[in-house]
Amino acid sequence: MKILHLLCAVAVLVSFAMAQKEAPLPKDLPPYGAEKPLAAPTVSASKLDNGLTVWLVSEPGFPKLALCVAVRGGFAADPADRPGISQLLAKTMGQGTKTRSAKQVAQELQGAGGDLTAQSRNDYIEVSTTILSTKKDNAVAVLSDVLQNASFPDAEVTLAKRNAADELRQRESEPSFLANRAMAKVLFGDHPYHVTAPTQESITASTPDDLRKIYAQRFRPDQAILVAVGDFENNQMLGLIKARFGSWKAPNEAPLAAPATPSTTAQHSVFIVTRPGSVQTTLEFGAFGPRRGDPDYEAAEVANAVYGGTFSSRLVANIREDKGYTYSPASFLRQYRESGMAITRADVRNEVTGPSFNEMTYELNRLATTSPTDEELSKAKRFLVGIEAIQLQVRAAVAGELAGIWVDGLPPEEIGVYGQKIAATNTADVDAAARKYFPAAKAAIVAVGEEKVIRDALAPFAIPVQTMQ
Amino acid sequence: MKSIRNIFLSALLLAAPLFAQQWKAPTGMKKLSNGLTVVVSEDHSAPTFGVCISYGIGFRLEPEGRTGFAHLFEHMMFEGTPVAPKGTLIRVIEGGGGNLNGDTRYDYTEYIETAPISAIDPVLWVEADRMKTLDFSPKNLENQRKVVEEEVRVNVMNRPYGLFFAIDLPGKAFDTYPNAHNFYGDFKDLDAAKIDDVQKFYEQYYAPNNAVLAIVGDVKPDDIYARVEKYFAAIPSRPTPPRPQVEEPSQKAERRSAETDKLAKVPALAIGYRMPPRHSSDALAGAVTGELLHNGQASLLYQALVKDKQVALSVDGGVNWPLGTPVEYNGPTLMTSFIVYPPNLKADQVLAAYDATIKQLADKGPSQADLDRIVAKMRSDLYDNLEIPISRASALSHAVLFDGNFDSVYQVPEELGKVTPAQVKAFATKYLVSTNRTIIDRVPEAAGKPQGAGQ
Repeated sequence: MKILHLLCAVAVLVSFAMAQKEAPLPKDLPPYGAEKPLAAPTVSASKLDNGLTVWLVSEPGFPKLALCVAVRGGFAADPADRPGISQLLAKTMGQGTKTRSAKQVAQELQGAGGDLTAQSRNDYIEVSTTILSTKKDNAVAVLSDVLQNASFPDAEVTLAKRNAADELRQRESEPSFLANRAMAKVLFGDHPYHVTAPTQESITASTPDDLRKIYAQRFRPDQAILVAVGDFENNQMLGLIKARFGSWKAPNEAPLAAPATPSTTAQHSVFIVTRPGSVQTTLEFGAFGPRRGDPDYEAAEVANAVYGGTFSSRLVANIREDKGYTYSPASFLRQYRESGMAITRADVRNEVTGPSFNEMTYELNRLATTSPTDEELSKAKRFLVGIEAIQLQVRAAVAGELAGIWVDGLPPEEIGVYGQKIAATNTADVDAAARKYFPAAKAAIVAVGEEKVIRDALAPFAIPVQTMQ
Repeated sequence: MKSIRNIFLSALLLAAPLFAQQWKAPTGMKKLSNGLTVVVSEDHSAPTFGVCISYGIGFRLEPEGRTGFAHLFEHMMFEGTPVAPKGTLIRVIEGGGGNLNGDTRYDYTEYIETAPISAIDPVLWVEADRMKTLDFSPKNLENQRKVVEEEVRVNVMNRPYGLFFAIDLPGKAFDTYPNAHNFYGDFKDLDAAKIDDVQKFYEQYYAPNNAVLAIVGDVKPDDIYARVEKYFAAIPSRPTPPRPQVEEPSQKAERRSAETDKLAKVPALAIGYRMPPRHSSDALAGAVTGELLHNGQASLLYQALVKDKQVALSVDGGVNWPLGTPVEYNGPTLMTSFIVYPPNLKADQVLAAYDATIKQLADKGPSQADLDRIVAKMRSDLYDNLEIPISRASALSHAVLFDGNFDSVYQVPEELGKVTPAQVKAFATKYLVSTNRTIIDRVPEAAGKPQGAGQ
């Protein structure tokens, strides 16, 4: 699960600390109280006659409403000669409809307290907004227009292409973007999941007609879900959705096929992405991980929480709180409909690139070869269950999570069973997941920074090193 | 679960009958005899809680020659106490199913936690424990100095633009140390920090009478006041230093400078106008003006610079941006614009389009429809800050720290609706003038020397 987004603002100045060994807790510390059941949202699921899936979560009492629409087909569905065009599609679909200009779309949503957020993901495109619940009629009207009648005006597409080219140039100066793109390429090779962004060539080649064609293929009610979470009454909201989306028609063509199942073996090598002027090396270990819905998904989440997914995890204790190599060590599982990744990332000052690589390797292998202590296991499980309960109070997060669950082909109840499955994992489950997904030898390593710094630092290690083009 | 939600709903209806749109959660406050202010807000929609303790110390008050110290100190608050050594606090909170963080800003340093309600006692206990004393350990200070330096590398030195709109811009726009210095800290100052400095800073500023504790969630006020009394009441109050003068001498002329960026591939501009004090009669119109110009694709600057004139790739900003909401500051602040622009343009071309937008606002003012839209958006954004316990605790705690009461948290969303087009026009005419602003043009180093700059 995602850690709370609210903690990620620009320049949030964060601190955390860690226990190396499990010392006894202070004698006066009061114990945890009785657990209160953490109820999952109640989802009212239905399907319109045209095939549109509608999941509603009524949360009365607070004047906000989150809307999220997902359509199947994201980066992995992009034509081979237009990699990443989904992103251009997401950026331009709100820039005019048959009856509204781009400015009208933006202004009408602003008047409802919202913004149009359209994002391409690996398996889907997500269109979302959070609004004042009193303005839901206006917002649903604009959203339905954008989803059914986007017109991709030539002038808007021309401008969006020019800006996308400069934006790509800009993003290529960010180490996290470079690491992310390189890791997808290293793990997935030519499989469509390697696409994480457009290329300059695909931006240049894309035309308004390309966008209109892809929009017509993917934006169809039988391949879409609408999730609403917030202050409304279910029947009234469903009536509003039927009125605005009921006449949306699916084309006769068969929908896009899901991507093929990718390989599950990573090449255990270091891949350098050169970034002159770097004062840090961005080190990323990436292995194949479970998909959401796989039987060992929850056990892998628990293993990850023990390893590097929490402030009190082993990795943070080691390379931050003990050695001071990095501010921002983190590990997480990333989901694809047909695959998964287990990622560890840390930005470390150039001088400690080698020692950091060594410690990250050590911690991965320690997890894969030794069982967590009872306290580690209990802490990781309580953390994941508790954070889930907290995350489920954020309306937009619930809407986005439910949309992702639907894309993965799972039922809405999945949002409620996650915590139960986490609570039910035992040491043997976690050990098995750790051995399957976390050994360092199963990971490819991407290193972004000064090439010479990285080569010199990693020379003593018995691992092949190559520089990516 | 359902019935709990319905009870909450009825409580709300009783609490907020005045305006159709106003939303207010049941909230109260109390002061302990040691001066600690406690704010409690009930929200029974889920069995969780959020806590925020804000201390009245931030970047503005850190000592000269000790840039970055308030933030480095914040890290030390996570490094243990004599009875709860390094690691205990986080182990207790995460082991209770919770999450935690700390933030240092100009006017406060806050410590925030959220967890299932079953963890309320241990969480309050560890918070009280670090309000009594710390483990003033030179080894831990050395460790956190390194961590903070890595934080500066990852957020400033190894990052395109290096937050120049948040660090360099106030540095040029303001004249006095409290508002102008680098809040992340020069490495020489961070390196010079001694454990004695940490202890002295703690004794000066981390007293209960300099703190506001806000608790929001599945709680009952009387029960929470009793628990807070139990854990915090024995902590003695201490004198805190008088708040120094942080006001700025007035700005007389436009300030313009240029920088090069080793990492960025695309140039950017930062523009900062000095804003009136938060409690002045102009402040709310300023907040609205800032959002009208910057908030989203419907904003005046986005429409003018990105869409109509096509001289910018993106526009961000607002009053007190990016370190807080446009209504949450307690000293000199700026309305900042951060504009990324195409490499084939010069800064002056972008500025000409920018100035035309500002001039039109000052000459004609916004329409009532423009205002209605932005007020809806600002209300929506402010409510987002109140949605879940941890963020509502944070908002309440800051308001009480600044004002002695939390009224603004619930009133500002309403009062925004009273701002008139004439007030925005007057605000733009008075404040959005070149003599009140500072501009930095930041260009990629590869593109050569900075162009068109004053100095």
